[in-house]
Amino acid sequence: MSDASNPFSLQGRRVLVTGAASGIGLATSTLVSKLGGRLLAVDSNEEGLNRAIATFEGNHHETKCWDLRLVEQIPSWLRQAAAESGPFFGLVHAAGLSCIQPVRLLDPSCYRDVLLVNTEAALALVRGFQQKKAADPAGGSIVFLTSVMGLVGSAGAAAYGMSKGALVGLAKSLSVELAAKKIRVNCVAPGFVKTPMFDRLSGLWESEQRAQVEAAHPLGLGEPQDVANAVAFLLAETGRWITGSVMVVDGGYTAH
Amino acid sequence: MDAKQYILITGSSSGIGRETAIRLSSSYPLILNGREATRLEGTLRQCQNPERHVLWKCDLREVDQIEGSLRQILADKSAGVEGFVHCAGTLKILPLRSVERMDVRETMNVNFHSAVEVIRLLVRKKLNQNYLRGIVFISSIASLKGARGFSVYCASKGALDAFMRALAVELAPEVRVNSVLPGAIRTGMTENMLSDPDLSKRLESAYPLGMGHPGDIASAVEFLLSQSARWITGQQMVVDGGRTINVSA
Repeated sequence: MSDASNPFSLQGRRVLVTGAASGIGLATSTLVSKLGGRLLAVDSNEEGLNRAIATFEGNHHETKCWDLRLVEQIPSWLRQAAAESGPFFGLVHAAGLSCIQPVRLLDPSCYRDVLLVNTEAALALVRGFQQKKAADPAGGSIVFLTSVMGLVGSAGAAAYGMSKGALVGLAKSLSVELAAKKIRVNCVAPGFVKTPMFDRLSGLWESEQRAQVEAAHPLGLGEPQDVANAVAFLLAETGRWITGSVMVVDGGYTAH
Repeated sequence: MDAKQYILITGSSSGIGRETAIRLSSSYPLILNGREATRLEGTLRQCQNPERHVLWKCDLREVDQIEGSLRQILADKSAGVEGFVHCAGTLKILPLRSVERMDVRETMNVNFHSAVEVIRLLVRKKLNQNYLRGIVFISSIASLKGARGFSVYCASKGALDAFMRALAVELAPEVRVNSVLPGAIRTGMTENMLSDPDLSKRLESAYPLGMGHPGDIASAVEFLLSQSARWITGQQMVVDGGRTINVSA
């Protein structure tokens, strides 16, 4: 599967994935490794990272335990990582915190971390990524994991929706600004995917509510693999003319 | 007895349709639709496994003739259609005051009505059992944005995408339906438009990543038809080098 003539190949490309220890980040990292990419797997969960890296294909991958709330430090961490082991072609921001609260409970202390990790960290990562020595001279592909909740609305999802919707605006302007450097920037917007984040969320629901959410997806709930496939498509040559887009992978949730 | 499964591609004589056919030819048996036998044969010659594919000559401007012609070819070849890619399209850049009834009819017939007609038939059990699994429309960024001289073309692509979304909901979960929305790409259809040096220059600067190639669209079609996209339906996939989100001067 690491055939260089395969348009989906990531052979020779170094890819940084945040949130790599679980869920969508883990599925994406695993797929990147299968496609011949060289990973820098980032997460705040060190144990999770160690478990993850043991499952990747190939053996030239690295992990880093970063607290993405420390947004001022992220650009220098990235620069350092590039100096240590080479520039990056791909950047996938899959790390995220959820926040489902009615507006009356949304004081800043409640959603501060959500905005830092979901949104500000994305910008900080790009600031690091686009620095001269951090980026692969061949160009690059950046993917933000937004969400259908960044595109449509639901009671209780205001803070989460805000953090994810902001990524869409961010990606669009970044895509125009970085095009001259041949760096593409896109979003993937998943529907409800069976991940640990979803398990924590749906654990608070009545069984009826879970059934309703599932029924709202014409193709049922998604698997992390479904989202990873779209991210990989955008990272590889197959996505060479795609930038500023939002690729919705949601089993039809937003189609009706 | 199970019929042999094909992917039916309209507009496969040239441009995006031809490139898509060539790309898919190594993985699937194809029914290649076009208006002219010689140009269809040209596509076939560039395909992998040419003996696996079928040529279907049918002029999609004549919507009333599609049913008879499609029934014939499927019967002749004992064929089932598991995938449908609608690449056929016609573009006439005309200010509305110069548009004649025939221009409207032709554009809507090829770009939209022919797709409705083919799918209407492919979902009929007696003709195609339950074979249909995936549909991809080659729409356009014209479905999202207006431009002078493009009124009827924009309408035809908008109609296609609205139809796509309703189909995605109606035919789920067995059939996934999506559109690819290309920006400006050099093909036979856009040749005239792009030969104007002024327009060509303006286009290049409006596109953050420059102009695209038919292969960029073929990649997106191949992805959407594959198992990698098993959870994607009802979506407009924009492949446009950043054109539609770019408002920089």
